[in-house]
Amino acid sequence: MAPFSLFNKTSDINGFYAMLIVNRLQILYFILILPMYLVHPYMILGIVIIGIFSQINLILFSKWFTSNFSGQGYSAFVQLFGERKFRFFVLFGLIPMLLKIIVLTLNYVEAIHQFIFPSMNMLWLVLAILLISFYVSSKGMENTIHFVVIAFLFSFWVILCFIPFFFPPFASLSDLYPLIPTSWSMNSWKSLLFLWSSFSGPEYLICISPWFKRGQTIFKYLTYGNLVSVVEFLISFISSLLFFGSNYLSKTNYPIVTMARYLQSPIIERIDMILLSLHMFHFVFIISFLILSFYGGIRIVFKRVHKQTTRIGFLACCAVIFTSIAVVNQWFWEPGIKDNLWLSLEIWSSSVTFLLVPALLLAAIKLKGRSLE
Amino acid sequence: MKHLKPVLLIVILSSNIFFTGCSPFVDNNEIEEIAPVTFWSINPGAGGKLEISTLGPPLVKEHKRLLSLKVDLLKQGGKDFNLKYYRELKSGQLRMVLINEELAKKGIMPIINTLLTDPDISQRLYLVIVKGNFDEYIKNQVKSQPNLDYFLYRMLRHYEKKKQGEMSIINLHQFKKLLYSPFSDPILPVFKAQQTNFIYHGTAIFKDDYLKGIAHGVDDQIFQLVNNDYYLKFLPIPKYSVVLGNIRSKVHKKMNENDSKLSIRIDVNGRIEEYRGAKDIQNSIELEKFNKEIETYLEKQTLDLFKNLQQLQADPFKIGTLTLGPISKPMSEKEWLKHWKTLKVNVDYNIKIHPLTSVHE
Repeated sequence: MAPFSLFNKTSDINGFYAMLIVNRLQILYFILILPMYLVHPYMILGIVIIGIFSQINLILFSKWFTSNFSGQGYSAFVQLFGERKFRFFVLFGLIPMLLKIIVLTLNYVEAIHQFIFPSMNMLWLVLAILLISFYVSSKGMENTIHFVVIAFLFSFWVILCFIPFFFPPFASLSDLYPLIPTSWSMNSWKSLLFLWSSFSGPEYLICISPWFKRGQTIFKYLTYGNLVSVVEFLISFISSLLFFGSNYLSKTNYPIVTMARYLQSPIIERIDMILLSLHMFHFVFIISFLILSFYGGIRIVFKRVHKQTTRIGFLACCAVIFTSIAVVNQWFWEPGIKDNLWLSLEIWSSSVTFLLVPALLLAAIKLKGRSLE
Repeated sequence: MKHLKPVLLIVILSSNIFFTGCSPFVDNNEIEEIAPVTFWSINPGAGGKLEISTLGPPLVKEHKRLLSLKVDLLKQGGKDFNLKYYRELKSGQLRMVLINEELAKKGIMPIINTLLTDPDISQRLYLVIVKGNFDEYIKNQVKSQPNLDYFLYRMLRHYEKKKQGEMSIINLHQFKKLLYSPFSDPILPVFKAQQTNFIYHGTAIFKDDYLKGIAHGVDDQIFQLVNNDYYLKFLPIPKYSVVLGNIRSKVHKKMNENDSKLSIRIDVNGRIEEYRGAKDIQNSIELEKFNKEIETYLEKQTLDLFKNLQQLQADPFKIGTLTLGPISKPMSEKEWLKHWKTLKVNVDYNIKIHPLTSVHE
C-alpha cells in the first residue's frame, strides 16, 4: 500500500487562499441564524464596528505571519513555548476545535432536518456529512486547502439571491429605523458577543501557516477576506430586516432559509432546498479542515509529530469525532431552542480563541525576541 | 480495476442497509397514489370545531368531488382525509386558503401560524376571506367547471402579478409581516360566494388577527389608490355618472412635529372614460367645476374611511411608520394606538383629468 501522508507539503499556497479560507471560516454556519440574534436595526452599526475590531485583531495576527516563526510550523512553536508547554496549549486547543465540529455539524443538520428531511433520523444526516468530510480530509491537507475554491464558488453567490429584497415592494425604509440604539440591554451585549464570535475563525490559519508562501504580505488577503465577510453579513442582515421587519424577525427560525423559500423560479419550487444543499460544500470544507487540524493536534499531544501519519490513527480520530457528535445528539441536544447551551458554549469558546490566539502568539514572539537580544 | 473493491463494498453495505428496512426515507411520493391539495376552505363548525374542505383529486382525469370534514385542528384534518380517501393528500402544492368571514372574526392566528411553520407550504400562499358558503358554490360548479380550483388560483395570481389595482391580493408572508409590525395591520381580499358566482367584494380590515370590517365599493377603490397598488384601471363614480380610467396616484403622507396631525395629499392622474351626466364637459370652466366636485367627493369618502379605521383602531395604511425616524426612539404599540385614535387627519386630493375629447374655452 502507498504510504498514507496527510500533511505533506509539495508546493506553496498563495495568499489568495488565505483570503478565501478566512472568509469561509467567518461566514460558516452563523450566516443562517445571524439575523435572528441581531434583530434590532441598529445592529447594522454593530456589524460594522465589530468588523473593524476584527480587522484590528487581524493586524495583530498578521504580525505572526511576517515573523520568522510562521513558516516553520511545529518546530517554531516548540522554540517559542518549549515542548511541554506547547503540548499543553494544543491539548487546550483541541477542546474548542472539537466543540466547533460538534456544534456546527449538529446545527446544520438540524436545519436540513427541519427543511428537507423532517422524517429522517438526524444521525443519518450527520453520518452522510461526516463521511464526505472524512473523504475530503483523507486526501490530505493540501488538497483540502485547495477545496476551498470549490466551497467558495458554490456558496458565495447565494447571498446575491437576496438582493431583490432591497427593492420595493418588499423594502420600506421604515423597517430600518431606528438606526441608533435608543435602549441598551443585556441582550444587546449578547448580540455583540455573537457578532464577535461570527467573525472568529481566522485564528485557525496557524494550523496551516507552514503552507503559505514565505515573505508574502498575507495581511492584504486577510483584510480582503474580512471585508467580504462584513459585506456578506450586512447584505444578509439588512435584507432580512427589510423582508421580515424587526419584530417579526425575532420570532423566526432560520430567517435566511425562510427568505430563500420565498424566492421563486419557473423551474423549481423549493429553491431553499437547493441553496441549503449547496451550503454543504462550505460545511464539508470547514469540517474536513477542522478534522485534519484535530488529527494534527492529537499527534502533537501524543508526541507523534515526526512519525508517518497512519490510516489507523486517522480513522480513530474520525471515529472519536463521530461518536462525540452522536453522543451529544442523542443525550445532550435540545433542538430548536434559541439560547441553546451548546451554541452559547461555541459562541464563548470561539470568541475567546479569536481574541487570545493572536495576542498570545504576539506576546510569545516579543518575549522570545527580548530573551534573544 | 483499482476502484472495484471499494465500490463493491459500498454497494453491498448500502443495499444491506436499505433492504433490511433501515431506510431513512419514509415519505412516499408515488404520483399515482397521492393527491396534492391546492386549496383548503375553512369554515366554522358547530361547537368550536373547524369544517375544512378541498377538491380532490386535482388535475387528474378522474371524477372530482368535494371532500369535507369536521375537525378540531387543521392538521388533524389532513390526517383524517387520508383515512377517508384512497389517495394520500400532500400539502406541498397548497396555493390558496379560503377562510370564512365568521371564523375570521374570531381570530385566525392559529391557522396562519400552522400554515407558516410548515416548510412544505409555500410562503406565497394566497389568503382569501369568503362571505357566504364557498362549499355550496364549489359543489354547484364542479360539474360544469372541473378545473375550478386551478382557475381561481390563476385569477388571484393574475391580479397580484402586475398590481393592477382591481383587487387587494395578499399572500401569507405579506399578511404575517403586516400582522407582526407594531405600526400596521393586515388586510385581505374578500370574496362573496353565491350559488353560481364567486365575486370580489372588497378589502377585509383586520385589527391584529381579528376581522373588524370590510371596505367595499368606493372605499375599496380608495384602498387601492392610497395604499396597495397606486393604480386603478377604472374608477366608476355613479353619483356623478362618470367613469375615470387609467388612474395613477401618488400619495404624500406627512405627520406634523408632535405626531398629532396627519396630512395626506393624493395626486391623481387619469382620464374620463365614460360620462353620462348632464354637464357639458367640453367646456373648460364646466370641466374645472366637475373636477372640483370629484375632488371634494373623494376627499369626503377618504376622510370617512379614515375615521372608520380610527374607530376600529386598525391601521392598514401603515400610518404608524411615519412616526419612526432614524434617530428617534420609536413609540410602543400601545402608545401609537392611543395616538391613532385621536389623530387629526387632513385629506387633500389633486385630480388631473384628461378629457378624451377637445375642450373649448
